[in-house]
Amino acid sequence: MRPGMSGAPRLLLPRLFLPRLFLAVAGALLLLPLPGWIGGVHGAFAVIAILAVAAYGLDIVVSDLGEVSLAHTVFFAAGAYATGLLATRAGAGSWVTLPAALLAGLAIALLLGLITLSLREFVFSLVTYAASVVAAAVAHNWNVLGGSDGVSGIPTLDLSIGPLRLAARNDAELWPFALALLLVTLYAVRQFRRSRLGAMAMMVHLNPRLATMSGIDVRRVRLRVFLLSAPFSAAAGWLYAYQRAYVGPDLFETYFLVLMLTAVVLVGRRLLLGPLLGTALIIGQERFLSFGGDINAILLGGALILSLAVLPSGGTSGGTGGLAGGLAGLLERLRPRAPDAAAPPAEGRSVPQP
Amino acid sequence: MNLVQQLINGLIIGHAYALIAIGWTVLLGVARLVNFGHGQMYMLAAFVTWWGVAGLGLPYPLAILLAMAGGVLLGLVMQLTMLRLTFAQDLVSIMIVTLGFGHVMRGLAGLLFGGNPQVLETPLSWIDFEIAGAWVTAQDLLIVVAAIAVFLLLRLVLERGALGRTARMVAEDPKLAQLGGIDVRRVYLAVFAFEGAAVALAAALVAPRTPILTSIGFEEVIITFVVVVLGGIGSIGGSYLAGIGLGLFTALFGGFVSPAYATSAAFGVLILVLVLRPGGLALGAKGGRA
Repeated sequence: MRPGMSGAPRLLLPRLFLPRLFLAVAGALLLLPLPGWIGGVHGAFAVIAILAVAAYGLDIVVSDLGEVSLAHTVFFAAGAYATGLLATRAGAGSWVTLPAALLAGLAIALLLGLITLSLREFVFSLVTYAASVVAAAVAHNWNVLGGSDGVSGIPTLDLSIGPLRLAARNDAELWPFALALLLVTLYAVRQFRRSRLGAMAMMVHLNPRLATMSGIDVRRVRLRVFLLSAPFSAAAGWLYAYQRAYVGPDLFETYFLVLMLTAVVLVGRRLLLGPLLGTALIIGQERFLSFGGDINAILLGGALILSLAVLPSGGTSGGTGGLAGGLAGLLERLRPRAPDAAAPPAEGRSVPQP
Repeated sequence: MNLVQQLINGLIIGHAYALIAIGWTVLLGVARLVNFGHGQMYMLAAFVTWWGVAGLGLPYPLAILLAMAGGVLLGLVMQLTMLRLTFAQDLVSIMIVTLGFGHVMRGLAGLLFGGNPQVLETPLSWIDFEIAGAWVTAQDLLIVVAAIAVFLLLRLVLERGALGRTARMVAEDPKLAQLGGIDVRRVYLAVFAFEGAAVALAAALVAPRTPILTSIGFEEVIITFVVVVLGGIGSIGGSYLAGIGLGLFTALFGGFVSPAYATSAAFGVLILVLVLRPGGLALGAKGGRA
């Protein structure tokens, strides 16, 4: 399958969201007191920021590399478990648990990346899915990881350096840290998309043959992007462990997997703010407009189906898809159509490979 | 438990695995499609069978038919939703969408059947007899007989008849098949309906062996994948043999090493196969490989 680049939504939206530096700084400063203004919803905001960071790890694999990794919950959980175990059993501080969490995520990603080096599409996805099943089985059964009970009693976040007090005893104090992690992540993802590796990833994604002919080592690029994606999700797990003060095998439940995937595709792919808005919509619904776990699950799964199978121009990989793609498609339809700009037939998009 | 008992146990589990995997085998072999909601379809069908027996008071065979009808309906709804993606052969999106369907089904099952574990009791699970020191129920034998019957039937239909020719043509080249006058849309719908019916049949027969919970189905997908890959993607006979092999392996590993890690060990086998025999994974001309 060779997706055609559908131009319209890509032109329209990234420009809209293009973060000018001062706008970004002003926006971030405005976000800081926002949960207080709304009425003490720091917990929800912190969770949105944390899970959005986890989703950004998945985002660069799904949107840029074009593969669906189902193992990012494992990286997320690895970060959380490393933090929980070190903080409770070894009394490690937050400056120690952070690199440990990143390393844990990276190590698992390296192992999995090497195994799946030459696998693509659904085989890649199934092996990563199987990896999360195995990880869940290990977490449930291995006493070192706390078994089914998990690890509880994780101390609060404390990043104090010398006289500088940087600690978070509650959600209100944790929110600035979550926001900071989110901003660092946003900046890193933006820089990645502008980097050589980011460009190579897109080329490998959209035209692997051309990439190979241009002298790009496809496997190397795939492995490097996969490795790069893991620390984001692991860092999110690090902060999540402090936020919840508990780490358990529930981190491997499909909920987190579907949440991350939906966050990535709901608003639209390759939009810098897409996963953040997606996470905000999902967590916002769960926290402020909840209908109970079962209906929430139906809504979340339904949103995933909607954004890929129902909304227009949710093309495979080149296009944006999601709500933004749907909106762009709608605008396109409302606009008077120029005679030469007839939409390409849907089936013309997939050019069979020889 | 001794070796013979584990072997008999493994044969039964193996037939159960093969039966659970058959829908996926056909889905992948005939239509080059995947369904990550397979496990949740299994879970939902198990609940429907239980509800048919315990709630409606239906006799077990009728409850099986009810679950299969539900499976067909579910398969048709899923495929109708995904037709555009199917025609574009957009496997990546299909994968994610079927995961979404799985999540919806889980919520639906929680809503309709509650969060309590249920046990599906069939008249056949009360009849047991001893074979070489192992206790086997009539339900176990039914699984073995049903699995063999389904596989024989499929071989006959897909590898001999005109239906099989049509299906293979669609798998090979959907566009050419359409030009040749085949209604590809109907083939895709039929294949997904079969997937629904097959997994429902498997659930109705196999689920009485374990408690039914909304959280089951997670491992069934992995087992299914291992069976499909080991058997050679899309091969009917291959996946039957792979199911039996995996069942024997799981029973022996569970009996002599550790039951908690049996699924993980099955995944280990899969990795070995991927590393040692990567060529066996080629998915026709499309290829699941770089």
